[in-house]
Amino acid sequence: MGKLFDKLNSDVRFVEGISGCINCGTCTAICPAAEVYNYEPRNIANLVQTRDDSVIEELLKSDTIWYCGECMSCKTRCPRNNAPGLIIQALRKLSIDTGLFVESEKGRQQLNLKRMIGNTILESGYCVHFDHLSLDVFPEQGPVWQWVRDNRETVLKKVGANYNSNGPGAMRVVSKENLDELYKIFEVTGGIEFFDKIEKFSAAKAKELNKEIGDSTNKSSEYFSEAYTVNSINKHKR
Amino acid sequence: MIKDGKKKVWDDYQKEIADDKFYYVRSCIRQTIWPGSENIYLRILKDVLGKDIYESENHTTCTGIGYHSEVVPFETIQTVVARNFSLMKEAGYENYNPSCVTSFGIYTEILETWHHFPDEKKKVINFLKQATNRDFVEPKNLAHTSDVLFKFRNEIAAKAKYKLINKETGKPLKVVDHIGCHYAKMFPNKGVGGAEYPQVLAGLVETFGGEVIDYPERRHCCGFGFRQYLVKANRGYSISASKKKFESMEPFKPDFIITNCPGCNYFMDRWQYALAEMEHKTYGENGYGIPVLTYEEVAGLVLGFDPWEMGMQMHQVDVEPLLKKIGVEYDPSKKFKGANGEDLPLPEKPNHINFSV
Amino acid sequence: MGKEVAIIGGGVAGLEAANQLATLGYNVIIFEKKGQPGGNAAKWDRLFPNRRHTSEVVNSLKSRLNGNPSIMLSTAISSVTKSGNRFVLATKGKNFEADAILLATGFELFPAEKKEEYGYGIYENVITSAELEEMFAKHGKPVMKNGSTPSKIAFIHCVGSRDEKVNKPYCSKVCCVTAVKQAIEVKEAIPAAEVYSLYMDLRMFGPGYEDLYKEAQQIGINFIRGRLSEASELDGGRVQIKTEDTLSSRPLKMSVDMVVLMVGMSPALGTIELISGLGLKPNKDGFVAVADYHLNPIGTGVEGVFVAGACSGPSNITDSVNAARSAAIEIHKYLSK
Repeated sequence: MGKLFDKLNSDVRFVEGISGCINCGTCTAICPAAEVYNYEPRNIANLVQTRDDSVIEELLKSDTIWYCGECMSCKTRCPRNNAPGLIIQALRKLSIDTGLFVESEKGRQQLNLKRMIGNTILESGYCVHFDHLSLDVFPEQGPVWQWVRDNRETVLKKVGANYNSNGPGAMRVVSKENLDELYKIFEVTGGIEFFDKIEKFSAAKAKELNKEIGDSTNKSSEYFSEAYTVNSINKHKR
Repeated sequence: MIKDGKKKVWDDYQKEIADDKFYYVRSCIRQTIWPGSENIYLRILKDVLGKDIYESENHTTCTGIGYHSEVVPFETIQTVVARNFSLMKEAGYENYNPSCVTSFGIYTEILETWHHFPDEKKKVINFLKQATNRDFVEPKNLAHTSDVLFKFRNEIAAKAKYKLINKETGKPLKVVDHIGCHYAKMFPNKGVGGAEYPQVLAGLVETFGGEVIDYPERRHCCGFGFRQYLVKANRGYSISASKKKFESMEPFKPDFIITNCPGCNYFMDRWQYALAEMEHKTYGENGYGIPVLTYEEVAGLVLGFDPWEMGMQMHQVDVEPLLKKIGVEYDPSKKFKGANGEDLPLPEKPNHINFSV
Repeated sequence: MGKEVAIIGGGVAGLEAANQLATLGYNVIIFEKKGQPGGNAAKWDRLFPNRRHTSEVVNSLKSRLNGNPSIMLSTAISSVTKSGNRFVLATKGKNFEADAILLATGFELFPAEKKEEYGYGIYENVITSAELEEMFAKHGKPVMKNGSTPSKIAFIHCVGSRDEKVNKPYCSKVCCVTAVKQAIEVKEAIPAAEVYSLYMDLRMFGPGYEDLYKEAQQIGINFIRGRLSEASELDGGRVQIKTEDTLSSRPLKMSVDMVVLMVGMSPALGTIELISGLGLKPNKDGFVAVADYHLNPIGTGVEGVFVAGACSGPSNITDSVNAARSAAIEIHKYLSK
């Protein structure tokens, strides 16, 4: 047993996620990620049960742990009550804690997710916010969404929303007091520190690659854009 | 297909669902993409069923999408969830009623974690006190909004104006259900009907006169995958999963898709449009897509609510062929009008999938 | 002599023990809850490893049932109690007494519908290994629900075995070799059929088992190392199955005409209730706990109560016959004291 394994093993999700894999393959059989990526959840379970730190370190640096979609379909099927999806959650957490996530193309996308979802949570109290869902980022939203956005005040009112207003209702403003409390929770529980880690390790990697990363809210810098759009498909696909 | 076999499975998975006094919690995606569905749910509960359902302006996101994208640590989301539970108690309610399958999965997982790992619970009680000075409480009942409509499906059917029947042929509409992975795949006994043959939407469809069609990829994920959709570079994962489902259901000629999860509803609607534009392929009849409806919209439709007040004009896959099949009385000319009936510029028509404007 | 032994269960173990004990001079009565003797074996068409007809074995075992031993069919025992050195067995009609008890209640086939994702009882052409035996006995080959002959068949190992999800964590021992036997029989009956076997490990522990496996390979049975994850029904009643070919690390999806579930052995219903009256507990898998797994696998925690066959855990016919003979000796020793 090594230090990385001990850290993994202190995460309840890891404890819950693996109790001994018999390599039956029921997880890989129905895994959406295994259909498109060079990925088998079975192999994740098999690798972590070696308890070998060098094996775990390789995983933490790899694209492999970022292929899972956390649909948790694997949990339903495992005859040993393992859940590779939970193992993945613990590995990803550790990859960020150790800064190894910046060593893989898919891992570097954590900066995108932090600046998009993470920042939105603290700024608005929502994971996704209407104002951010533009068609250049999400073109599949289609022309009807453009129409909704162009006519948002009246269209959203017609369907009973309370867009950007006070009081209850869909798309309401979450008050400053509530946002402050949310921030405090993030501060006390390590959420802010986690955001800072993602920023710090990404900034160091950007420097190493000689790429501009921008401040913690920037969504157009070279590093951000590259992480968001580059897909070395031959490396990832089956 | 032997239908009685499913009914036997259903008997093993009937969960407790409160019958009144709900504390309603909105979903980030549902209120943003399908706000009309949330609105109609509240109207059905209050005006049609006469229930007490309370909505607080103080709750925040559960942070579930952040959690499943690995930007929010487990301790953090547990404490955010604990705060939302405290707000419920402070408002005088005990029955937590979230409108989101991701959230429902999060709440379920966290309650199970607190049950099996008491140290995690202790940690969260302290975090909550420290950050918010609120008292920790667990809900008496946790039910997803679709669970509640399922519970009252017969009451709704008794007041229904329409049935899920093809007006021309008199035959039941063929419906495929999509449940959303986090509803019951993690904890099968927390979902009505279990993980393999969920009854929660099938029960609604059958009670409203429709016929549920099983198809081989029914249980497959819609393809959200959190980071797999949110990051543009990964989006191939997402559209591939949805495509696999459409191809698998196509031979069964479904009249519409009913979804449990706001995200799934979004993906199954939007990816049909994207696939049409990319591959010139449509999966419905006559160059249309297969309409994708939330369960609130389905309940609202049979009760006779106006489709445009329910936000069905916000779908990229046109719902009008379905409205005509059912024989819903509606005014096509009002589809893209504003809140006060004013004219608005019309949305652009997609190139490769039919869309009525 | 003249002492009485009551045997609960008229399957292989119960019949064999009865024959041996009667030879030793005891008065033996078998209580069988079903309408005919033979237990689960009576439902099977042919046996591994040599594909001998099961009726030969069962007929031989029951050929002595003409006086002593005697058998009471359709007679379930509702309770057994010990009073001094005598036992009282209650049935619906009347009570019986005996000097020793042999538990030979056998096993139940795992109820395949509990493995929900395989769709047994929901998808028309998903059947169990037992139903396949019935088809062999009746038609000499498997038959689809619509009456046609399947041309692509998949055997699914470990259904209700090695599966914590359905609370059956143990190996049922006989299903691997049964699947191989049945696969060969299908191929013999329908030579053009494609036959697949989805396994995790092939546990070919008995004499002639490995030979059977080799024979199966030589006639073209396709062995895939992967457990079935889910089955679903295609338009027209064919079945789509998903597994992983774990040896090449690839998810695998295919369509077949028929799926055969190799159902495992579950503790017989009612046995636990029966033994609890004697103060006996089941083992962790729900079978009757034996006194000493290595040195006294026939004894139980109660003097005068013995156990043989699959009611103490999965076993094949040979195991059951051996256990029955051991039990006869142990009972003889006990009653001769």
